[in-house]
Amino acid sequence: MVSPESQPQSDSTARPQDTPLAIEARDIHVTYDDGTEAVRGVDLRIAEGEFFGFLGPNGAGKTTTIRTLVTLLHPTEGEVRINGYDTTTESQRVRESIGYMAQETSIDLELTPRENLQVACRMYGVPREERDERIAELLDLVELGDVADKRAETFSGGMQKRLDTATVLVHQPPVVFLDEPTTGLDPEARLRVWDYFERINDRGTTVFLTTQYLEEADQLCDRLAVLEDGQIIADGTPDSLKAAVGTDTLRVELAQPTATRKRRAIETLQSDGALDGASIEATSNGFAIHAADARAAATTVFRTLVDADIAVAGFDVDSPTLDDVFLSLTGEADDDGSETPDVTALSPAEVAR
Amino acid sequence: MSNAAGSDEPSDTPTRKASGNSALTDMRISFRRWLVKTSRNPYVTFTSLVQPVIFFVLMAEVLGAIAGGALAGTVGGDIHYVTYLTPAIVVQSALSAAAVSGIGLVDDMETGMFDKTLISPMGRSAMFVGKVLSELVRIVVQTLIILGLGYLMLVLKPEATATGYLQTGLPGLVGILVITTLFGGVFMAYSNIVALVTRDREATIMIANLLTFPLLFVSSAFLPLAVLPEWIQTVAIANPITYGVDGIRALMLGQDVLSVFEVTAFDGLWNTVVPTFGVLAAFTLVLGVIAVSLLNRAARAEVQ
Repeated sequence: MVSPESQPQSDSTARPQDTPLAIEARDIHVTYDDGTEAVRGVDLRIAEGEFFGFLGPNGAGKTTTIRTLVTLLHPTEGEVRINGYDTTTESQRVRESIGYMAQETSIDLELTPRENLQVACRMYGVPREERDERIAELLDLVELGDVADKRAETFSGGMQKRLDTATVLVHQPPVVFLDEPTTGLDPEARLRVWDYFERINDRGTTVFLTTQYLEEADQLCDRLAVLEDGQIIADGTPDSLKAAVGTDTLRVELAQPTATRKRRAIETLQSDGALDGASIEATSNGFAIHAADARAAATTVFRTLVDADIAVAGFDVDSPTLDDVFLSLTGEADDDGSETPDVTALSPAEVAR
Repeated sequence: MSNAAGSDEPSDTPTRKASGNSALTDMRISFRRWLVKTSRNPYVTFTSLVQPVIFFVLMAEVLGAIAGGALAGTVGGDIHYVTYLTPAIVVQSALSAAAVSGIGLVDDMETGMFDKTLISPMGRSAMFVGKVLSELVRIVVQTLIILGLGYLMLVLKPEATATGYLQTGLPGLVGILVITTLFGGVFMAYSNIVALVTRDREATIMIANLLTFPLLFVSSAFLPLAVLPEWIQTVAIANPITYGVDGIRALMLGQDVLSVFEVTAFDGLWNTVVPTFGVLAAFTLVLGVIAVSLLNRAARAEVQ
């Protein structure tokens, strides 16, 4: 199993070692006044341009961590540097160089999208002559150009969230923090928002995302950390994390699943040599192949079976999902609390890749 | 803390850092935002004006019918009740505008706009001052409307005359606006304290309404304190409304009308204006300090 701060498998997506760090947290602890230790020794090293995901069950300390990174909280212990600036001693510098999207949609509902963006531009000192163009560009990015002069209170949740995304980007921050940005959005709105995040990241912006949706992390993130009880319990690329919990499984259903046929099928495949090293076991109506490349091997398996005159009735491929990672790491379902009811509605179909 | 002349490390990300604003710019940004928000809510502004206006007319008609004797024994018989009542209504309108100040703050906290400003490079005090200024603008506008209305009522009443409505003229008008804004400050601070303690919109509105309305009656607002029961006279000493009303009334009538204690160190109406100014300033200062420290606490969050 991966340990904190390790770079498990040197994947193709692993960050180049010489890129400057956008986010660097060294052994941060955050203890609230009432004694709650929300964060207990988190280390983060996130390179410029990375899309980093922060996962964890409710109450794991994700929001506390992100609020510490964006200068809203001072770490009780440890230090944080964002774009090279210390969040405690150079908080003003940090604030100028980051965008932060909180869990709740933080826009002024009484103002129109254009006005919201104007206020944000002024707040961040965007030069007057650049404002109009920048606002037009952002409205275009989040597809709110048509309703730019309507009051935001009439908007749907998805539209408000998109406006929020735009206001976070007015000053073209090199680092953007997104705290559960898609919670409460319908699937279509979520896909659109993902698209914006990817576009922002493609422009070179470092993105730090916390999420409860494992599918979201899988889709977007170059690298992930899993947080539990204020500590990082795993860290790596989505693929390496998935690989750590298991391999692909190809289940084949035979037309006449008698014991002899099953045995013959398994023997044929084993003697074929195409599935070198794969483990094959009989199941109630056929057999199952466990291999890292079981998905790719499916064609070979079917051809071999056809050649051997064994009829196939059906098949199914299972890959480990981040759900499995999550379950094996945290030993619990990701919906342990009532805090975010949406999570309980997360259907397996939604989570499965 | 900001302008460290340090070198921005050159990076080839296609992005750049925002430039900081001056405190004045920050203040203007916040001021404009809140002013626009106020204009988006004409209903709220309207109701905070309508209630005092209704009160003005009703009180002038109902109490005015019997107040003659009470006035004759205190401020003088030739003063019309409308003139006497105007300062009370000015204070009431300022009160109803100031007492909702905390709602904007709670709304910002609930929507996350508060955090959003905190993590922006905006100066925190500048942004708060901007909000307060936008509310003072509203109070000044409402005060001018009420003063105009009082004048109109006197003109329209056959038995009354509008001469002598504002004894101290233009300097008096400026003085009235100063006292009104100072008075507004007391209740703005109070409302923001309630908002910061409860963090709840409904509670902020309710506590504002609950307290402010009765406070008007246990003061010198509607009738001279001398004709009111003793317990009201006692409560009135600690009631900021008494000082707001007395200060404005002194400027309107051009005489010393301070009703809770006697000051003779100054001359004529200054015996009222100076003490009321002092008392209101003290109230604003004390409540303001509490509000600002609560606000700072909210901004820093409860971390060890």
